[in-house]
Amino acid sequence: MRFTYNWLNEFVEIKLKPQALAQVLTMAGLEVVFLEEKEGDFVFEIEITSNRPDLLSIIGIAREVAALTGKKLKLGSFSLKSYRGFNSNFKIEIEDRNDCLLYNAKIIKNIKVGSSPDWLKQRLELVGCRSINNIVDITNYVMFVWGQPLHAFDLDKLDDCCIIVRRAKDKEELITLDGQKRILDPQTLIIADKKKALALAGIIGGENSQISQNTQHILLEAAIFNPLIIRRTRQRLGIQTESAYRFERGLEPQILKSASWEAVDLMRRICGGMLILDKTQGRPKKKDKIIYFNSQQVKRSLGIEIDQKKIITILVSLGFKVKKQKKALKIGIPSYRKDISLEMDIVEEIARIYGYENIPTSLPKVLTKIEPDLKRTYILKIKDILIGLGLDEVLTYSLTDKETLKDFGLESKEAVSILNPLSKEQEVLRTSLLPSLLNIIIHNLNQKQNYVRIFEIAHIFSFLNDRPQEELSLGLGIAGVKPTLTCQGLIKEEMGFLHLKGIIQMLLDRLGIDNYSFKLNEKEGIDLYLGKERIGFILMRSILKNKKAYLAEISLTRLFGFIRLEKRFTPFPVYPAIIRDISFILKEGTFIEELIEEIRRQGQPFLKEARVIDFYKGKQVPPGFQGLTISCLYRSDERTLTEEEVNPLHDGVVKMVVEKFNARIR
Amino acid sequence: MSDFDFDQIQKTVEAELERITSFQQLQVFQHKYLGRKGVIPSLTRQLSKLEPVQRRQLGQRINALKQRLINYIAEKEPLFKTQASSQSFSLSELSLPGIAQELGHLHPITRVIEEICGVFMRMGFSVVEGPEIETEYNNFTGLNIPLEHPARDVFDTFYLEPRAWIRDRKELKERLLLRSHTSPVQIRVMRARKPPLAVVVPGRVYRPDAVDASHSFMFHQIEGFMVDEDIRFSDLKGVLEVFLKAIFGQEISMRFRPHFFPFTEPSAEVDIGCIICKGEGCSVCSRKGWLEILGAGMIHPNVFKNVGYDPNKYTGFAFGLGVERIAMLKYSINDIRLFFENDLRFLKQF
Repeated sequence: MRFTYNWLNEFVEIKLKPQALAQVLTMAGLEVVFLEEKEGDFVFEIEITSNRPDLLSIIGIAREVAALTGKKLKLGSFSLKSYRGFNSNFKIEIEDRNDCLLYNAKIIKNIKVGSSPDWLKQRLELVGCRSINNIVDITNYVMFVWGQPLHAFDLDKLDDCCIIVRRAKDKEELITLDGQKRILDPQTLIIADKKKALALAGIIGGENSQISQNTQHILLEAAIFNPLIIRRTRQRLGIQTESAYRFERGLEPQILKSASWEAVDLMRRICGGMLILDKTQGRPKKKDKIIYFNSQQVKRSLGIEIDQKKIITILVSLGFKVKKQKKALKIGIPSYRKDISLEMDIVEEIARIYGYENIPTSLPKVLTKIEPDLKRTYILKIKDILIGLGLDEVLTYSLTDKETLKDFGLESKEAVSILNPLSKEQEVLRTSLLPSLLNIIIHNLNQKQNYVRIFEIAHIFSFLNDRPQEELSLGLGIAGVKPTLTCQGLIKEEMGFLHLKGIIQMLLDRLGIDNYSFKLNEKEGIDLYLGKERIGFILMRSILKNKKAYLAEISLTRLFGFIRLEKRFTPFPVYPAIIRDISFILKEGTFIEELIEEIRRQGQPFLKEARVIDFYKGKQVPPGFQGLTISCLYRSDERTLTEEEVNPLHDGVVKMVVEKFNARIR
Repeated sequence: MSDFDFDQIQKTVEAELERITSFQQLQVFQHKYLGRKGVIPSLTRQLSKLEPVQRRQLGQRINALKQRLINYIAEKEPLFKTQASSQSFSLSELSLPGIAQELGHLHPITRVIEEICGVFMRMGFSVVEGPEIETEYNNFTGLNIPLEHPARDVFDTFYLEPRAWIRDRKELKERLLLRSHTSPVQIRVMRARKPPLAVVVPGRVYRPDAVDASHSFMFHQIEGFMVDEDIRFSDLKGVLEVFLKAIFGQEISMRFRPHFFPFTEPSAEVDIGCIICKGEGCSVCSRKGWLEILGAGMIHPNVFKNVGYDPNKYTGFAFGLGVERIAMLKYSINDIRLFFENDLRFLKQF
C-alpha cells in the first residue's frame, strides 16, 4: 500500500518527520518497506498483512497514526445539497445474494470528461497509479482514500436502464480494459445489462462501457462482492488489480457509503456532473461485534501489567467502543476491523500500540517429559562415522523428473507425482537418492576434483498400497582416484567397490550391527542383508571416460531397528591362542564370504576367528586365479591348547579348502 | 701400544659418554667404538702382537670396557629412542606435510541445524521431526489458515497427484501436499501429547518458487514451540533473545515488530541489527539496518481448539525460521543455490 506524507497529513496531524513516522509505523506492524522523497512530498510503501484490509486505505493508516501519536482522525464532510433524487425506473438485479451483498448505483449526468487537475494527477502518480481521465482518476483516488473500489460505466452504452449482477454464461465473451478478450464461464461473476457483459465484477471493467472523451452520463458502481468468488476468478484468469486485491480481502458497507458519496462530491466539483439517481440493492446484515475483555488477559499472555486506563485509551484511539463493566470491559468492535473476534485479538492490539519493545523479557521454566528421539541420535551418529571415514555430506533436491529416474533404471510408475510442478525437474518425488548423488559426483569430477566421496541422508518416496510413503534413506557414492601421501611416498588408488564396502562394514560395525551379509544380486550388484531382510545394495555406474562410480543405498528406516549402541565389556581371553595362516591360490569367481563361513564351520570347536589378511593378483598367480591368505585363530576358553590338538583341526580346514574350493596351497 | 695408551682411550670414552644426549649420538658412538672397524675391535686385533702377560692384562681391561659400553648402550638406547627429540629429524623431513586420514565435512545446513537445536536443547527443548508429505489439514486448516483465504497466498504449495482410483472416490476429501512449512508438526505433537511441551522441529519444506540466488523450491526450516499453563509473550522474547545471542553473538541488537500469522496472536517478526553493516544500512539489509530473522507469536486459541487443548487453560508460543537464511548470514554465502549444488570446493569449507 502506497501513500504520501502530505496526503496522509490531510486526515491526521503528523508532528513526526517522515523517517520518524516510518519507524513508528514499522514498530506497530505497518512495516515501511519503501520511503522516498519525491516532488516535495514523501512516498511511503507499507506491507499490509492479509488480516488488515482496513489498512488498504489512507484513512485506515491515518487512524493508526492517530492512535500511535495521540492525535485525532480528521474526516471531512460532503455536501449533498445538489442531490434532488429524481425518480427513475432504473433497476438493479442481483441474481444471487451470496455473490453480491450490496450494490449501489449512482447516475451522474452531464459530466465533462477531461484530464484531471494537477493535484489529482500528482497524487495518483506518486502512489504509482497512471492518470486516465478525471472520472476514472476520481474513482481511483477515492479507492486509495477509503479502500473501497468504485467503477464508472458510460451510461449511454448500457442497453435498457438496468444493471444485472450475475454469473457469466459458458463461453460468454468480454474484452476487458487491458485489451484482452476473456472467455468466461459460470464461475465468473459479471456485471451486465440486459444484452451483454459489461465488467468482471470487482476485478476489471469492459471496453464496451468504458469512459471516453465523449461520455456524458455515467453510472457509478459501489458494491460488495463475495470475496471468495473474486479470489477464484482472479486466480483463474491470472489478473491482479488494486480493485480485486481489496475485494478479495473484504469490504464494509459503512465505508462504501462514504466512499461513494465522496466520489460524487468530487465529480460534481471537478467534472460538473449532477447526481440524478442513488439506488441500492441488497441490505447487508448489520451485526455489532462485542467482545467481553478481561484485563487480566494482558498480564496472562504478555507477562506485563498494563494499567486499565491505558488499555481503554489505546482501544478507544483505535475506534473501539469501550464500556467498563464489573468484571470485564465490554468492547464494541468497529465494522472495519474484521480481524478482531477474540480476546487475544484485543491483547494484540494493546501490545501493538503499547509497543512490543516495552514488553520485558523473561525465561520460562521448562518441564517437558518428551523422551529423546532415538532416530535423531542414530542419524547424527551415522553422520559422525561417515565424516570420520572421509565422506562429505551433501543435500540434494527431493524432486526430480521421470526421465532421470528412468535413465537410472528406476521404475517411475512407483513415483509420487506433483500436481502443480513449476518445471519438469519437479515432476516427481524421487524414489532413490542415487541419481542425485551420481549427478553430484559427475559435477565434481568435471570441476577437476581427483576423487569424490559423498553421502546424503534424506527421505525417498513411493506409493505403498496407493498411499504415498516416505522412507529415510542413506545414499553413498565414491569415484575417482585418491592420491595418498605415505611415509614411502605417493600412492594413487582408484576408489572402487571394496572402498565402498569397507565404508559400509565400518559403519555397521560402529553401529553395533554384526548380523549382516552381502549377496550377489541379478543386476550385477551386491545386496546388503541384515538377517534375512534386504536393506540395501551397492552398484556400479560407468561415467565420463573410463571412470566408474560406486553407489550404495541403505534404508535407514529398516536399519534403525538393528542398531545397538550400548556397549558391554568382554574380558580378555585367559588362555593363549594359536594362529595358523593358510596361503593358497583360488579360481576367480569364488564367493569368499562363503569360503570364510565354511572355514569357520570346519574349524570348530576351537577356531575363533578366520579373516582375510592378504589378497593378490598378478605375476605370481596364473591368470584367472587369485592369491589369498587367511589367518585362523584357535583358542579354548578352558585351557591352553596344544599343537597336537590344533594341528589336526587346522589340517582339516586346509583339506576342506583344497577339496571344496579347488584351492592350491602355496 | 701400552697401558698408558689404553688409559688415554678409556678417558676419552668416559668423556664422550658424558656428552651423549640423543639416539643419533649414541649410534655414532656405538659405531665408533663397537663397529666392525671400531676402536675396540681394532684394539682386540692388536692384542696378538703383545706379550702373553700384557695380552692377558690388557685383554681383560678391553673386555671390561667393551662390556661396560654394551651395557651402557643397552641401558640408554630405549631412553633416547622414546625421547623423540625433534633434533633427531632433519629440517626437510620436518617440513613435509603431515600424514593423516582425511576427514569429511558436514553440510553447512546440517551444521546450522545442529547448532540451533543445540541451543534450544540446552534450554530444555526436545527435538522432534515430522513427515514431509502432509495433509492439507495439518499444513493449513489446523493452523487456522482457512481454505481459499488470502492468508494462504504466501504459502504456495506443491500438491501430490493421487492415484487414479482414489481421485475418483468422493470420500477422500483431504488432499496431500509437500509441507510448505514445519508448523504442521505443531499439530502432530500437540495432538499426540499433553502440555507441558517445549519442542524444536528441523526439516525440509517445499514451495513452488522459481530458483534464483535467494529462492529455492526446497529449503529448511526450524519450528519451535512451548506450551504450558503460564507461558507469556515475555517468555517468547526471553527465549528468542537467548537463542539469537547464542547464534549471532552477545552484542547483537534485536527488535520485535508486530506482524500477522494466522496461527499466532499476537504475532511478531523478529529482526536483528544487520551483522554486515552494524545497522548503518547496506545491500544485504536493503539499507534498513535490520535483518528479518524469524516469525513468532503466541499460539492462536483456534489452533489450541483444533488440537483439543483448552485455550483458557494453556498458553504457548511458537516461532519459525529459515535455516538457509541464517546459514547465509553466518557464513557470508550470497547464493542459496550453492547449498544444493554440492560443489566440493564449497562443502570442504565447512
